[in-house]
Amino acid sequence: MEPIDLDLEEGELELPAEPMRLNMGPSHPAMHGTVRMVVELSGETIDKVDVQIGYLHRGFEKMCERGTWAQVFPYADRLNYVSPMLNNVGYALAVEKLCGIAVPDRCQWYRMALGELARISDHLTCTGAMAMELGAFTPFLWFVKARDMIWDILEEETGARLTHSFGRIGGMAAPPTPKFKEMCGFTLGKVLSIVEEGEKMLLKNRIFIDRLENVGVISQADAISLGWTGPCLRATGVDYDVRKAHPYLKYDEVDFDVPVGRRGDTMDRFLVRLAEIRQSMRIVEQVCARMPDEGPVSVDDPRVMLPPKEAVYSTIEATIQHFKLVMEGAKVPKGEVYSYTEGGNGELGFYLVSDGSGTPYRVRIRPPCFSIVSGVSQLISGGMLSDVVPVFGSVNMIGGECDH
Amino acid sequence: MPTFKLDGKTIPFEPGESIIRAAEKAGMEIPHYCYHPGLSSPANCRMCLVEILPGANQRAMMLDIVEWDEKLGDYRPTRKPKLQPACQFPATDGQEVLADTSPHVLEARAGVQEFLLLNHPVDCPICDQAGECKLQDYWLEHQKTPKRMHDEPVHKPKAVSFGDTIVYDAERCVMCTRCIRFMEEVAKDPVLDMRERGNLKEVIVAPGRKLEGHYTFMTEHVCPVGALTTKDFRFKARVWFLKSAKTICQGCATGCNATFDYDPRTNKALRYRPRDNEAVNKFWMCDEGMLTYHEAVEGRVTEARVGGSKVKLERALDEAKKLFASVPRSSVAFVLSARHSQEDNVALFELAELFGSRAVYTSGAPSGYEDDILIHKDKNSNTTGLQQMAPEARSFSELLADVRASKVTHVIALGGATPTHDPEDATALGMLSGLLVIAAHTGPLATAAQVLLPACSWVETSGTYVNAQGTHQLADRALEPQGASEPAWRLVAKVATAIGVEPTWGTLKEVRSMLVATTSIPPAAPATASAE
Repeated sequence: MEPIDLDLEEGELELPAEPMRLNMGPSHPAMHGTVRMVVELSGETIDKVDVQIGYLHRGFEKMCERGTWAQVFPYADRLNYVSPMLNNVGYALAVEKLCGIAVPDRCQWYRMALGELARISDHLTCTGAMAMELGAFTPFLWFVKARDMIWDILEEETGARLTHSFGRIGGMAAPPTPKFKEMCGFTLGKVLSIVEEGEKMLLKNRIFIDRLENVGVISQADAISLGWTGPCLRATGVDYDVRKAHPYLKYDEVDFDVPVGRRGDTMDRFLVRLAEIRQSMRIVEQVCARMPDEGPVSVDDPRVMLPPKEAVYSTIEATIQHFKLVMEGAKVPKGEVYSYTEGGNGELGFYLVSDGSGTPYRVRIRPPCFSIVSGVSQLISGGMLSDVVPVFGSVNMIGGECDH
Repeated sequence: MPTFKLDGKTIPFEPGESIIRAAEKAGMEIPHYCYHPGLSSPANCRMCLVEILPGANQRAMMLDIVEWDEKLGDYRPTRKPKLQPACQFPATDGQEVLADTSPHVLEARAGVQEFLLLNHPVDCPICDQAGECKLQDYWLEHQKTPKRMHDEPVHKPKAVSFGDTIVYDAERCVMCTRCIRFMEEVAKDPVLDMRERGNLKEVIVAPGRKLEGHYTFMTEHVCPVGALTTKDFRFKARVWFLKSAKTICQGCATGCNATFDYDPRTNKALRYRPRDNEAVNKFWMCDEGMLTYHEAVEGRVTEARVGGSKVKLERALDEAKKLFASVPRSSVAFVLSARHSQEDNVALFELAELFGSRAVYTSGAPSGYEDDILIHKDKNSNTTGLQQMAPEARSFSELLADVRASKVTHVIALGGATPTHDPEDATALGMLSGLLVIAAHTGPLATAAQVLLPACSWVETSGTYVNAQGTHQLADRALEPQGASEPAWRLVAKVATAIGVEPTWGTLKEVRSMLVATTSIPPAAPATASAE
């Protein structure tokens, strides 16, 4: 049979020459978060990409200026909502630095344990979701199952699975439950076996490897000049981790490694996160071994800590303390402070300004995602359209902290 | 000026002044309950104790005490300096005083505060004072410790009605005697006293008497805690939701400086508090004045009216145009009001000038009770201002005479009140062919008006008032205007346009510059801030 287009001229077959403009997001099943990307395509190759953030902007920093210092904790929960405990601890440390408060040892260990559990859940979510976005649905379900086990511990400790609001200026809302250490030991082993199983499934898969290796490569110099921190920076081989470089809490007393990558590609970012899950487990094990079972978790300072509820209802002194702290807020000394911790995605910084009143004058956040997302267009340009999905998944943009 | 040192800071003082007063003037607060700058100092609360260092060649006065020794497991004898009440101890030149820097003083304050709270009920959630209570503030500043006493606290009478205005709660009382001293020293009516001793002590009203008179609200105002509350403000609002504005009481010609508290969420007026001004009202206000905040919402003109029925402002101005068209200018009179601000009056005075009328009269509220403490016979807030602005203006009774003689047929008036409430007056006002009234409050003039325009009250627009002493005082804007009301000076400008005169002012700034030109007295500086 003869082809039907035999009589067509060669010239008429050519496709239009101008690049095609395509919107991905803000709501797209293969996008890792609420973000819009305007990509300009020549065929399947990306010429240019414009990453537009801001779809989750709530005016977080401005909202903080109308309540008391303690009322910022629920907002902090909703920054990186995959690891809210790390934000809680970061904010608490910032206010305590301004107040000159040192929390008791038991609280420091407890904050570390909860923070590292949150980091594990953060990395499980990121790596699991990345695999799912590439079509590997099973490991995603496994990782989410493992994350749920972590959240069971956090729920037992704080009463909430996700938005804990558990940090307090000068301590934590409650001491560790008696079964905390036991739960950690029991759960972490199970989580580790799930992670190993998932790894086996993914890292022997040729398609998965091909879509990750040498895709979205960034050099050390570029990553540093963009202000990258966290797993994405460490994937390029820079061993900067706030916990090692500027230790806070008791991180200088525990033994853990900072995993780094070599090429700075998507595969390295994936592997660094998996390695960090194991390091976090090491830290939690050491914390469980060293955290005392007795002793206060909060400072004994009536200027910042709420009195016990029974006392509020029965004695005037505690009623006054409660009233002053709730209605006027704990008075934070006049001044400003920058305090930074290692969040799920990198350096999470809080810059606080106090005018000496019970309400923050200014709360400025330095979310790790913000500078990382600013490098996304550089990572993707020149690649294929299908590379957008793994690359963007691996930078783990969290709208809650990025849009501020 | 002689000076002394408080915690290393040099503080000047007038000879005879107490340490606490001199420190207060220099902006350093020594905690206190019973001390009040306007009253005598009984030094009974012991909160203001300070350590006075001995002068050269003098020995410190030391007391023998015992102190618990943890290591020894027993008390051991030691000594501490005798502390002095700063409210009673006069400052002397070169004296060195320690307050915040003396551990003995800090310990004494914590101890006094602990004793005061020993039998205090758990009342903060239901107490009107919560949020502005000295017990709360000082606990956090000077005590910070939980309760150590486990016994049942002493119970005493609660919600005792002291009279028509004040309610007393003996459990909350710290026995500072400020209310007792106020009634005796300022109101000159020693109707309050105390009975019993120690933790059974309570304040009582003299048998057979009620707490009454013209200054009962001040007993609540001087109360540092929630023991005395006014029936007027009780359970009406939580103070941390309120906003405050500096204002001038409109009750009489004394022009007491007041703080006007209102709820910005509901635009509701809630109370007055006296604002300290040594030259005008010292620290006080009278009961009648304290209640005049109600006039911010009560008895108001909030809609434009033509012949008694509500209309839009434009329609009322059209009516004014008709009324004043083809009227001989010589038969139009202008009436200034002593109950409106200088700004409102100068606008109307300027309109009279532009209109070419020399027929300027004044009105205001009738005179009333007076005393030699604060209350003035003249119940208008701005009489002196009018006298300065328009010395030739004639009285309201002359206006009525001129109306009856048909010399005046049309009137443009400010304010609803008239100095007399004679039924004959209404008949005379009824004889007018045209009566346009711009008023914030109702009154005989507002009732008789053919065209009535709603003006802002004193808390809805910034204005200057001149009190009987001739002091120019500024009242700030607090509430949003009620209904359709607008500042009267702006309404006067609209009326001017309606009756065919081009107004020379459009903004408050222009009105104020007019005011300076007319009265040749500089406008009032913002009233001084409260000292306490």
